[in-house]
Amino acid sequence: MRNVSIRAIVEGQVEGQAIVSLTPISFLGGVNPKTGVITDPENILYGKSISNKIFVFPEGIGSTVGSYVIYGLKINGVAPLAMVANQAETIVIAGAILANIPFVDHPDVDITKVIVSGDNIKIDTINKIIKIKRD
Amino acid sequence: MYLTKEQEAMLSGEKGETMAKCIQLTVKIGEIYDAKNLIPIKSAQIAGVSYYTVGDAIFSFFKLLSEGNVKVRVPSWLNPAGMDTEKWKEMCIDADFADKQFQIIQKYRSIGVETTLTCTPYLIGHKPSYGDHLAWSESSAVTMANSFFGARTNREGGPSSLAAAIVGYTANYGMHLTINRQPTILVNVKADITSLSDFSALGYWYGENYQSKIPYFTKISGLDVDHAKMLSSAMASSGSVPLFHIQGLTPEANNIDLAEVDEKVSFTNDDLKQIYEHFNQSIKNPELVAIGCPHASFDDIKTINKLLKNRNLLDEVEFWIFSSRKVANEEKAKSIVLNLESKGIRVYTDTCMVVSPAVRNRFNNILTNSAKAAFYLIKGEKTNVNFLSLEEIMELVTN
Repeated sequence: MRNVSIRAIVEGQVEGQAIVSLTPISFLGGVNPKTGVITDPENILYGKSISNKIFVFPEGIGSTVGSYVIYGLKINGVAPLAMVANQAETIVIAGAILANIPFVDHPDVDITKVIVSGDNIKIDTINKIIKIKRD
Repeated sequence: MYLTKEQEAMLSGEKGETMAKCIQLTVKIGEIYDAKNLIPIKSAQIAGVSYYTVGDAIFSFFKLLSEGNVKVRVPSWLNPAGMDTEKWKEMCIDADFADKQFQIIQKYRSIGVETTLTCTPYLIGHKPSYGDHLAWSESSAVTMANSFFGARTNREGGPSSLAAAIVGYTANYGMHLTINRQPTILVNVKADITSLSDFSALGYWYGENYQSKIPYFTKISGLDVDHAKMLSSAMASSGSVPLFHIQGLTPEANNIDLAEVDEKVSFTNDDLKQIYEHFNQSIKNPELVAIGCPHASFDDIKTINKLLKNRNLLDEVEFWIFSSRKVANEEKAKSIVLNLESKGIRVYTDTCMVVSPAVRNRFNNILTNSAKAAFYLIKGEKTNVNFLSLEEIMELVTN
């Protein structure tokens, strides 16, 4: 088990399975808001769903309309349980707040290097840490 | 962050859940960027209008707005839509798309947003004043507001500008603070730049090389609002430059402390040539000329008419000018627009080549005088783009 300290942007206590994008994510054009499936062929997660998982990525990029995609995921019942980024920016912040999806950033390490898809992770925004469990 | 009693009340949900969400969004973004407080804004320019770019995702967000029964608290304007709201059939837009597009426009109207449908609010009477704080989200208009008008706005996103319009405040960070408006790159403009496309090329070159750093350009003569909008839009697409200064021309250029400049560079005729060549895909058979990125002003339309003189458009070429409804419908523009249309040149309003599916879906070989348009259009898999001056384009497509 490993602990990583974080900054909380949208609060929440969440435990779940991680799914990790190694490259920055554009929600607009990169994630299907109806299914939660990654649609960007350049992304390592192409064809996989972020629904009901803890979505880990370096940062958000692309159109600011991406915020509406995150909100759409929530409305359609296919949102991730929580999101973890190395650096928050306005697109994901706006989307996470509108959709009320727990969202943290500023880990003390490059988060995409210490979490791998399939890890069980626990986000605790009260104590500002992520616990990573690997079987 | 310091909040006033009114702002605290909004945040705690006293004005409803939607209002609370909007101010929460504004406050959180402020916290990320270490803002000390929120400041009142004079206006908002709201992106996220074209159904082609926002898709169905926006409708779920609209539901939230409807539930809250909120209205914008400051003058707010809309970015271009995905089609001309009158001539959409002529643009070959299908009825389903049009239906969705009208729903989006209607929704914004219902919360009090003026449906200007242009990226150039400053060309239709909405000029910001020196020192005004704004929440604008059209990147080219942001750079214009900061640089040409001396107003203050960050590069807001569609959702954050809309939230700011509903709340009436934005977070006080970035471009709102004088300390962040100093240039760090001094650009000696050695190239001979005269045409609109030359200014666009300069902007493209700068944004590509220096991303978001603020430049101070040494003397550029003859810069008017149309040149400035080409420069702004290009540097805000190849890079994310929110502000530029030009020696002796832009309103803040005299307050500049050049001591903070940490790099001095030159823009030469070779650099200029290279930018044109970058987009030169040697199209033999152009299908479409697309002008009006950012939206054409009255002067732009007049110039095209003048260059056309008694010549005629080649049969095999479509020529589309994108402008705002207000500019194209002005009394003084009417006869010019009629003349252009009689020669087969179409003037479309409310939309543009970047946000309408009508361009990318139908045309593979496009000529434009805008580096911003070229930058976005070239992303289409089958699209070839030539970036040329208006004068060169008119030579190529008329006889």
